[in-house]
Amino acid sequence: MSFDFDAGKYAAYLWPAFAISALAFAWMIASSLLMARRWRREAERLQAELEATQP
Amino acid sequence: MDARHTFDFLTNPERFMAFSRWAAPLLGALSAVAAVVGLVLTFAAPEDALHGDGVRIMFIHIPAASLCLFIYLCLGVASFLSLVFRQALADLAAQACAPIGAIYTALALITGSLWGRPAWGTWWVWDARLTSVLVLLLFYLGYMALRGALEDEQKAARAAAILALVGLINLPIVKFSVEWWNTLHQGSSTFMAAKGDGLPAIYAWPAVLMGLSYLGAFGALWLVRIRALVWRRKARSLSMKLAEGAR
Repeated sequence: MSFDFDAGKYAAYLWPAFAISALAFAWMIASSLLMARRWRREAERLQAELEATQP
Repeated sequence: MDARHTFDFLTNPERFMAFSRWAAPLLGALSAVAAVVGLVLTFAAPEDALHGDGVRIMFIHIPAASLCLFIYLCLGVASFLSLVFRQALADLAAQACAPIGAIYTALALITGSLWGRPAWGTWWVWDARLTSVLVLLLFYLGYMALRGALEDEQKAARAAAILALVGLINLPIVKFSVEWWNTLHQGSSTFMAAKGDGLPAIYAWPAVLMGLSYLGAFGALWLVRIRALVWRRKARSLSMKLAEGAR
């Protein structure tokens, strides 16, 4: 199997399409994981605080 | 197991959290495997006689374009369940999938434009397919803006759900625009393609693999974002309990 990375005159269109898609996925993955981590930690912190204040 | 409880993991937040804890990473891993195989096939495929190396843009454009319609359908169904059956988890599901759908739609438009310039000689035309996909993006953005604009979360959820349901009308318009109107955009070469218009196997396989990868990525990201919203709701509820206790 051989790969063709020489896009010739289409390079100006091909590589931006792949780069923008890769960046979009990287952003979606990072923002989703960070959002989940932030709210999980916040819920755990508040849960611990509530348990500490209850007799 | 009682059949009535088969789909509890979609309505019960605790069961959903247990289900999504393993389902999200599994879908993410399957998506990554499909992406690697899809990219190998993408760059191993021969140049197209007419579109040259530009044909490889199709393997990321078709999945983004197909999935942005599918994600909007998910948004519509979740909004319907939230509006009619008052399913709290369905509302979170709708809220979670809108930004993913907006990005998939933007990717479909951008990669389509990058395909169009060398293939058609223009970045953009106001033809029925391109315009209806732009309208789809505006529905996604409108949904998110409406949710963010109203302070009362219940009112915001209700208004946004109604907007999402109205936007469903646009889905068949996008899908059949190339048949109903004379467009620069070509007819379907994948789903419901006319005889002779379908992609040959050498181009269909990369498109299918990349499609599965985009689908798996959507599934994984959707679940992760719903989980985040479930925790956010829990945090807000705990915060209120703490505030009441401090009085």
